[in-house]
Amino acid sequence: MRGTVRGQAASSLDRATDRLLADRAADGDVGAFSVLVRRYGPLMRVYATRILGSNDESDDVVQESFIAAWQQFGTLADGRAVKSWLMRIVSRKSIDRLRARRHYVIIDETDAPAPKNHEPHALVEAESQTEALARVLADLPEDQRRCWSLREIAEYSYADIATELNLQVSTVRGLLARARKTLLREMEDWR
Amino acid sequence: MTDFTPPDHRFDAVDLGDTDREQASLNGHTIEQLSDYLHCGRLPVDASIDDSPECAIALRSLERLRRAQRILLDSELHRESLREDSWIASILGTITLEAHAGRDIVLPHPQPTARLVVTEGALRGILRETGDRMNNVLVGRCALIGDVEVPKTPITVEVDVTVFPGRNIPRLAEELRQALSAALAQYTELVVAAIDITVTDLQTAIAVSTPQQESP
Repeated sequence: MRGTVRGQAASSLDRATDRLLADRAADGDVGAFSVLVRRYGPLMRVYATRILGSNDESDDVVQESFIAAWQQFGTLADGRAVKSWLMRIVSRKSIDRLRARRHYVIIDETDAPAPKNHEPHALVEAESQTEALARVLADLPEDQRRCWSLREIAEYSYADIATELNLQVSTVRGLLARARKTLLREMEDWR
Repeated sequence: MTDFTPPDHRFDAVDLGDTDREQASLNGHTIEQLSDYLHCGRLPVDASIDDSPECAIALRSLERLRRAQRILLDSELHRESLREDSWIASILGTITLEAHAGRDIVLPHPQPTARLVVTEGALRGILRETGDRMNNVLVGRCALIGDVEVPKTPITVEVDVTVFPGRNIPRLAEELRQALSAALAQYTELVVAAIDITVTDLQTAIAVSTPQQESP
C-alpha cells in the first residue's frame, strides 16, 4: 500500500542519522531536507536570536540559511558534520545581518541602539535565574556574545571560533574569558 | 582542550582585572583553566585544583553557570519547537529541485525530432523510493557513475544504505539490487554494468516495525 509505505519511510527518516539525511538532501531529497530543518531549525533560530537580539530578523536569517544550505549541499564532504555546517551558515548569515544593520545606521545617521529583547533592569529581582542569564547574555558586547554563542550553542572549539570570526585564538580566549567573568560576577547577585 | 596558549599570551586581547591576582586567589589557576577542567569532566585529575577550597568555590560557581545555560537553552529550544510548522513550509516552498537536477539522461523516443530526457535527480529519487518501499532499509546516497548522457554507455550505480535490524543483510542487499535493477529497466534504457550497495550504517533503533506502520 503506497500510503503506508510513504508513511513508513517518513517515520524512519525522522529517526535517521544526520549522515543519511545529509546524503539524501545532497541528492535532492526534499523529505530528508525537511527532517534536517525540523531537527536543527530550532537551534539555529535560538542562535540567530542570541546574535541579533530580534526574533523577526532571526526568522529571515534561518530561512536564508536553509535555502543556501539546500543549494550548497553538494559541498558538504561529510554528512555527519551537517549540524556544525548548518551552524556555520547561520552564524555567517547572522553576522552579515549585523554588518548590514550597522551600515544602515551609518547611512541613516541615526543613533538608535541595537534592539534588545530584555526587560528593564528594575525587573531584575523578579526574574528567574535563566531569565537573568538571558538578560546578561544579551547585554554582553557583541564580539563576546558571538564567541560565547558559537562556543555554547554551536559547540565550536576555540580554533573553529577563531577561524569563523577571523580572529587570533588568543583573542577568542580573551573574549570568552571576559564573558565568563561577567556572567560569573552577575550570577553572584542572583543567589 | 586541543588548544594551548602559552601563559604569557593569556588575556592579551582584553585583560579584565589582574591575572596575577586571579591566580593568587585560585591556587595558581585562572577561571579559564577551571572552566576547561570542568569541560573535560575534571580529567586528568589535578590535585592542585581538587584540593583547593578557593577552586572548589569557583568550580561550583562555574557549574551553576553551566546549569543555568543548559536550562536556558533547553527552554528556548522547547519554545521554538512549539512554533507552528508554517516556517518550515515556507522554507520548503522556496527551495527548488533544479538545484539537484544533475545530468540529463536521454530516453529513446519514437520521433527522431523529439528529445526526451529524465534528470539524474529524478532518477535518484526513483531509486530512493524503490529502496524505501522495502522493509528494514533506507537508501542514502545514490550515484550514477559513467557517462549517462551518451546512450548505451555502460554505467555503474552506487548506493549507500542504512540497514535496520531483523533481516539477513546479504539477502536484503540482493533483494534491493534486484528491485533497483527492475526500476532502472522500467524507467530508462541505461546499460547497467553493476549495482554496488554499501551498508554504511546499522541502525540499532527499530524504526520501521511498529504495528501501525506494517502493511496490512
